[in-house]
Amino acid sequence: MKYLPVQGRTLALVVVIFPLLALFVYVALRSGPLAPVPVTVAPVENLSISPTLFGIGTVESRYTYKIGPTFAGRIKRLTAQVNDSVEAGQVLGELDPVDLNEKIRAQDAAIQRSEAKLIESLARQVFAKAQTQRYEQLLAARSTSKEIVATKKQEHLIAEASLKAAREEAVQVRAEGEALKAQLRNLNLVAPAAGLVVARNADPGTTVVAGQTVVELIDPKNLWVNVRFDQIHARGLAAKLPAQIVLRTQTGELTGRVLRVEPLADAVTEEMLAKVEFDLIPKPLPPVGELAEVTVALPALPSGPAIPNAAIQHIDGKIGVWRIMNGRPHYTSVTLGGADLDGHVQILEGLKVGDEIVVYTSKALSSRSRVDVVEHLSGMTP
Amino acid sequence: MGGKGIHIEGLKKRYGKGDTAVDALKGVDMQVEPGEVVGLVGPSGSGKSTLLKCLGAVIEPTAGRMILGNETIYDDGWKVRDLRALRRDKIGFVFQAPYLIPFLNVTDNVALLPMLAGVKNGEARKRAIELLKSLDVESRARAMPSQLSGGEQQRVAIARGLVNRPPVILADEPTAPLDSERALAVIRMLNDMARKFETAIIVVTHDEKIIPTFKRIYHIRDGVTYEEAGEGRNFT
Amino acid sequence: MISLAGRDIMHAWGKFVFTGMGLGLLIGVTLSMAGIYRGMVDDGKALLDNSGADLWVVQKDTLGPYAEPSSIYDDVWRAIRGIPGVVQTANVTYLTMQVRQGERDVRTLVTGVTAGAPGTLGWPPYLVAGRQITRGHYEAVADIATHFKLGDRLQIRRNHYTVVGLTRRMVSSGGDPMIFIPLKDAQESQFLKDNDAIRQQRRRTAENPAFNRPQVPGLLDSVIDSQSINPYVNAVLVQLEAGYNAADVADSIRRWKRLTVYTRNQMEEILIGKLIATSAKQIGMFLVILSTVSAAIVAFIIYTLTLGKIREIAVLKLIGTRNRTIAGLIMQQSIALGIIGFVVGKISATLLMAPIFPKHVLLEPLDSVMGFAAVVLICILASLIAIRAALKVDPAEAIGG
Repeated sequence: MKYLPVQGRTLALVVVIFPLLALFVYVALRSGPLAPVPVTVAPVENLSISPTLFGIGTVESRYTYKIGPTFAGRIKRLTAQVNDSVEAGQVLGELDPVDLNEKIRAQDAAIQRSEAKLIESLARQVFAKAQTQRYEQLLAARSTSKEIVATKKQEHLIAEASLKAAREEAVQVRAEGEALKAQLRNLNLVAPAAGLVVARNADPGTTVVAGQTVVELIDPKNLWVNVRFDQIHARGLAAKLPAQIVLRTQTGELTGRVLRVEPLADAVTEEMLAKVEFDLIPKPLPPVGELAEVTVALPALPSGPAIPNAAIQHIDGKIGVWRIMNGRPHYTSVTLGGADLDGHVQILEGLKVGDEIVVYTSKALSSRSRVDVVEHLSGMTP
Repeated sequence: MGGKGIHIEGLKKRYGKGDTAVDALKGVDMQVEPGEVVGLVGPSGSGKSTLLKCLGAVIEPTAGRMILGNETIYDDGWKVRDLRALRRDKIGFVFQAPYLIPFLNVTDNVALLPMLAGVKNGEARKRAIELLKSLDVESRARAMPSQLSGGEQQRVAIARGLVNRPPVILADEPTAPLDSERALAVIRMLNDMARKFETAIIVVTHDEKIIPTFKRIYHIRDGVTYEEAGEGRNFT
Repeated sequence: MISLAGRDIMHAWGKFVFTGMGLGLLIGVTLSMAGIYRGMVDDGKALLDNSGADLWVVQKDTLGPYAEPSSIYDDVWRAIRGIPGVVQTANVTYLTMQVRQGERDVRTLVTGVTAGAPGTLGWPPYLVAGRQITRGHYEAVADIATHFKLGDRLQIRRNHYTVVGLTRRMVSSGGDPMIFIPLKDAQESQFLKDNDAIRQQRRRTAENPAFNRPQVPGLLDSVIDSQSINPYVNAVLVQLEAGYNAADVADSIRRWKRLTVYTRNQMEEILIGKLIATSAKQIGMFLVILSTVSAAIVAFIIYTLTLGKIREIAVLKLIGTRNRTIAGLIMQQSIALGIIGFVVGKISATLLMAPIFPKHVLLEPLDSVMGFAAVVLICILASLIAIRAALKVDPAEAIGG
């Protein structure tokens, strides 16, 4: 009883000071740079990896028709509207002829004039021929001079030539007339094939130049995806490989097939281009230009040791993984093989199936680190 | 031990200088034999405290002579270099209030003095416990001062005053906070100790209860002492 | 001789421990302050370490890519790759931006990393969950400080990204957590602002008669196309072959490619010397103030404790205690108070304060040792006033009246 005060104090001391000191030692050793690094480990698995390629593309139509006038003119009528389905040969619109009819009439007059000119030339040639024959007979009878005969011969030749010119001119003027008439017929904008109107760039009254697109048609039965694959990830890309296509506007995956890999790669963006066909054109039709994510599955590789790609580290220019040996991390360099999009990488060299490797670590490891193997890193749910 | 006890001749103390100077002690003569307990009585301002302080070597007298035990400590100037060691080894103090060190237990309060003098802890404690035993407070040896009664505290204080076996003990109103029975007990104890250790003890007091117990009493008034034979009751 | 200080502390240990705890919290704040500075330096170093680069090639005459904006063409790496000693190069982009996920958005440093396999320069060097990026687009690895979870859909500018991996301690020099996305997406996100901005830019271009000429059909489309590409990156990370001196290779890139190149040391200097210099000074000031306040508090506490013991000290003096012993009593108490304070401070800084600070707080063991020495020194200095007061006590005071 009489010693209680001392005991009470001692007790309080034990209760307060020792936990404090214990906490201090814990804090000094278990936190900060001296603390062991928590890591998770996993065995190397034996997996057959199906490498897959991932690319981003846009839906494009395989055939696009840009319809416009062949000469400058003004649009008179345009019946085609965006989203219209049109038949081959259907008239989509008409250009205003403006002065074309007057030009044709002038051309007709020119034809008449050239025909009259032809008749005149013919008359001159007939007369010149007759004159030449007459003077040749007179020369034979020595009743005229050689000089006059030569003059008549020359006149005859000139008349022949001008007849030929008049004949050709008549052909030319007639042909020009035909051309104007053809233009008159070409005032109509006609669909060259059945398709879907996707753009209407001008309205009646607009003046357009030759070659300008007035109406754009696509062939809705022939849509494909123009996909870009990063060159570094495009190993094994080839025609006829099956592909999964995800369109932004449509839920679910569509199936397709690589139609061809473009022989020209994009040198600037360092990408390969490929066209991927839909197995079945989706309904409703996806808008042309829509973003599509395309996953191309390559044939599965034979099974072998595989690890999660999170385990791969790059130290001193070597690719490798950390293994725990005698409680210390040990760096093992490896050679990587194929990889899939789920993050599995095949190991060609350096590891065996069943080897324990460090997958996740909460700090960069070095061979001097102390490690603490845990189930899950703190804050990470299974 | 013993020697001359306390011997004082013509001790003077002047505070201040020039016109404002005050003579607190004007030539005090005292003689206390070893083993003797002497009362020092006087009203406030009589120079009691000054005398005690001079004897306790905490203030310096102006002139005179003081001999404690065998050693002349003052002869118109200190004759001892280390006053602290002097206080520690030659003088025991017992105060009006016990002034025990609150954070040391009873044993250590007493043992502290020998420890300060360089005695080993165990030895010092042994000495302290012996003394506490003789003062009848051994049972509280491990208690803290705050847990003791006034009388117990005062006894511990006396033990502290005695522990280094000083030739001289200065007791300043040691019975003031005590009732008469306990006060008499303390005085009896001082007497016992004085005899046992041949210590010269001066008890400063104006406690009417205990004045009659002294065989010899010094009165002090205006800085001068007068000796008077006491009744020496209780101790005859 | 018994320890007077120890006995006194034991006698009033409750007062001591509580005072020590109060002081400890103050010391904890001081340690945290130092930790914040270390954390800032460490953030900078983490940024450099995580990139894995030996050299940073940036726009000429800039301090990029961290301290200043820098942009260079994204095909510059080809020329650099050919320089002797260069074993790997990687384009990288950094853009600090708010990343949205559902209702909330987080300030992050969006980092565009070159396509490749794990281990490519600029990629997160380690993960704590999930996997590294495998698709060339629309996948992200986020630092856990963003509080994103695996499978979250993030919106960065116009595109949505799926979080496939989580990493740790990947922060910008400002402490913002990093999000890694494929380089092409990052380039696009740096350039393409939002749909409205894109539409307005197209309209502006279309209204410019120089670009929209009726005689030249298709010109407008080409112009808009050329406006919508971003052939820039912020820096090229370079890894050197073993045995090559970084400064030499940097010199040859500087000389022949006329670009600015920084080595690891120079980069560290830029980050620590320039980027966080003001913050460091600020924290330095705080440390000085906190140390002064701690010193004042210790001095005050010890002085008060000493004044409460004046009578005992007088008695001790009277019974012949040496000044040295009394000074030792006070100084030991002061140091004991400091030690309790330091222990409490270290614990509270590590367990309570460091985790709740939004920024990284790095408590280095060496700092703790130095902190401990400083605390002891401060306590010694702080006890001097009390010691002076104690030594002035007149032993005569013990003798009443």
